[in-house]
Amino acid sequence: MVYIRSIGNVSPQATFGAEGRANFGTTGFEPSGTAASATGRDLITPAAPAVYTGNRLKAIEPDYSKYIDAKLIRRMSRIIRMGVAAAMDCLDGAAAEPGAPTGAGVRAEAPQGAAATPTTVGASPGRLVPEAIITGTAYGCLEDTVTFLRRMVENKEEMLTPTAFIQSTHNTVGAQIALMLQCHGYNNTFVHSGFSFESALLDAQMLLEEGQANNVLVGGVDEITDTSHTILERFGLFKRETVSNLELYDTKTKGTINGEGAVFFLLSKEPGGLARLDGMETFYKPTDLEDTTQHIRGFLNRHQVSLAAIDLILLGINGNILEDEAYDLIRSQVFPNTPVAGFKHLCGEYPTASAFALWLATQKIQSGLKRVLIYNQQQQSHHSLYLVSACGT
Amino acid sequence: MDQLMANLKRQIIAQLNLKDLKPEDIGDDQPLFVEGIGLDSIDALELIVLLQQEYKIKLASAEDGPKVFYTVRTMAQYITDHQPA
Repeated sequence: MVYIRSIGNVSPQATFGAEGRANFGTTGFEPSGTAASATGRDLITPAAPAVYTGNRLKAIEPDYSKYIDAKLIRRMSRIIRMGVAAAMDCLDGAAAEPGAPTGAGVRAEAPQGAAATPTTVGASPGRLVPEAIITGTAYGCLEDTVTFLRRMVENKEEMLTPTAFIQSTHNTVGAQIALMLQCHGYNNTFVHSGFSFESALLDAQMLLEEGQANNVLVGGVDEITDTSHTILERFGLFKRETVSNLELYDTKTKGTINGEGAVFFLLSKEPGGLARLDGMETFYKPTDLEDTTQHIRGFLNRHQVSLAAIDLILLGINGNILEDEAYDLIRSQVFPNTPVAGFKHLCGEYPTASAFALWLATQKIQSGLKRVLIYNQQQQSHHSLYLVSACGT
Repeated sequence: MDQLMANLKRQIIAQLNLKDLKPEDIGDDQPLFVEGIGLDSIDALELIVLLQQEYKIKLASAEDGPKVFYTVRTMAQYITDHQPA
């Protein structure tokens, strides 16, 4: 098990910074108990929800000038800015936390002659510099990839500018965070489709368990571009009718809503912080419903947790009738009496959406719940389970 | 020459995404790199491409770069001297 010391999130909802965390504080979720609720799923609603009526959600971006130097930001595409800002917000939260991880080693120091008031740009004084940075992304830096490819075609593979190419690689977000923090530690990016964030998290857990790092910054980032949305829409992945994201689970039609986001967590082995991640497991293409339920029951058994001890289950339901039917069957068979809520009406569907769910679970632990189970699946193939508990339990 | 320098300033801002700068913020004789407006080696590559795309001029030798891209005026002079007929 590892501890979540701090979190940072740029998403289609107001989730960034202290205001964002307050937006998802104690309001907006009253576990109605269970199957008694109208849809069978309780709706988590922030104090000030962002409402969308199309099939594409867009991240609400913070004022980057507080987090990214003006000279650096001009080369950064949207996903890089989102990722860097979420990471910096996460690290600022760790620095502000009473009893912040001591094993971590280094904190950025003020340069000689610097003003006493710390700035928040890059390796600012007091900002925690993690010992490792691990990122998960399925799509990588799509905007720069499209820019680079388009220029290759338009310019007949000549006169290609370097910036778009340099920034188009999947590991650019992790690299930029490290550059800004002057973090020379372990840095890795996992690109494993619907398991990208899970793979990054697994790597972070292993580093911590094996004592190779005292703290690790780990995150999941993915963006929507016009091109990617158009292509994915042609596959029939998104709803064709107009639907509000707050009514996503009431639709009984095919398709879901497209989402994006950048979420970072600072993890440590040292007890304390916001929540404890007891475990995470993945399984790929279960043979049938029974296979899925075996995985879920096995996961809980391995952690010696009964369903009665779980306060809330965050499900990856996404409003797609073809996918939600399976969730409904599992729900009725495995946990018919446990409060259940969705999260994709808030962040949309994307390969690293489980990072948003982990952020939301951490928020719910902070607002008083003792134990949250996350069960997510992407395109019926990539399934993941997370067990998150209050630190003292 | 003045018109060419004005165009160059607009093109440099657009190519390098210098959103905080306006053309009038860049002096004709202000160094573009380091102590001037703070461009770096990646920007130098972008400027080489800009010369090719906008003026069909290929830098004859990479060693000429620091001299050619020293200021907007030196860039304009190089373009004037090497503009295809």
